[in-house]
Amino acid sequence: MKRILVEGLVVATIGAVLAFLANGLSPRGLKLTRNYFPGSAALTVTAGPGDTQPSGLGRPKGLSASELLATRLRAEGLQVADSNLVSRLFHDPRFEQNLVLFLDARDDEHYQAGHIPGAYPFDYFHPEQYLGPLLPLLQSAEQVVVYCNGGDCEDSRQAAITLRNEVAVPAGKLFVYAGGIAEWSTNGWPVELGSRNSGKLLSSK
Amino acid sequence: MSETPSSQAPAGAGVIASADNLRASAWASRPALDIAAVLARWLLGILFVYMGLSKALHPDQFLKLVRQYDLVSSPLILNSIAAALPWFEVFCGLLLLTGIAVRGAALMLAAMLVPFTLVVLKRALAISGAQGLPFCAVKFDCGCGSGEVLICHKLLENGLLLVLSLWLLAGQGRKLAARFTLIKPRPRESQPETGKP
Repeated sequence: MKRILVEGLVVATIGAVLAFLANGLSPRGLKLTRNYFPGSAALTVTAGPGDTQPSGLGRPKGLSASELLATRLRAEGLQVADSNLVSRLFHDPRFEQNLVLFLDARDDEHYQAGHIPGAYPFDYFHPEQYLGPLLPLLQSAEQVVVYCNGGDCEDSRQAAITLRNEVAVPAGKLFVYAGGIAEWSTNGWPVELGSRNSGKLLSSK
Repeated sequence: MSETPSSQAPAGAGVIASADNLRASAWASRPALDIAAVLARWLLGILFVYMGLSKALHPDQFLKLVRQYDLVSSPLILNSIAAALPWFEVFCGLLLLTGIAVRGAALMLAAMLVPFTLVVLKRALAISGAQGLPFCAVKFDCGCGSGEVLICHKLLENGLLLVLSLWLLAGQGRKLAARFTLIKPRPRESQPETGKP
């Protein structure tokens, strides 16, 4: 019995060392000391059967996931963009001049699968991979719209907080599109596949 | 007239013969048990390598899922769990596949499976209560590496994995193992000296 415990301890020690080493060497590895969730506590805790968008445990009745997110965004000093505002900004001539920026806060896999046409990828888990070309654009932009999947998705909120706190983007020009790509698609608006400005559109109204 | 063995057999020989038969059949069934144990070891190994890799390749997604359990508030501890746990599972899975330190690896799997199952159960109960769903209708991504699952299926799966881990922990699965025991017993422990007064 003692030998098994010692063997388990050896496995645990070697395994832990190798695991941290693998994380350090992996290009997708996590930075142990970074706070990936600078905002308040997790919004999502539960999901119902067949619910594609997780719903919140203890969510006040009559409040949708997007509405709850919007309330929290305002409480954290972030501006919320609804469908109308997002549509206006998307068709604004400043969009073509990069004075209105759309940032997709999801990971690359989701971005490639479909994003708002012309949106820049910004996976806030790996900001160093995106900020190089984005930084001058963020400085000159007049309005920046950040979005993710919508529903309970928190990536847009966390990305906006990261941009505000770590990149010093003024909160006044930051907007979070709470409805996200889910609402955008539901509205029948065009979705671009692959990389930015690939020209491959999924559908349009 | 030749005598049949049975006619010459002393009283009680039938009992001895049937005991021998039992022993023989036990030995005959032993290879089947060994094969089953090796298959169990490989199955556990493959499952843990697969589930570990599916998390290790998307550590940010796993981090979000771990965070939802609200177990720790320190970013360092949360990040450490999400960063190391998937690779640790891969490591234990590889040990089982190759048959190195099998009981130590099985002990680690059991030590992980018990608390994981408890926190998943706790969360499922919370969801069931909050949404008024029957317990077995609760479905969510538990961060176990297999996406969204029905809770009853997950609990059954974890129970089975735990039983297999404990079976290996009991010393099964030695066949085709590269080094089943990492720490070999000293000769004095395995072969007690005899003939001394």
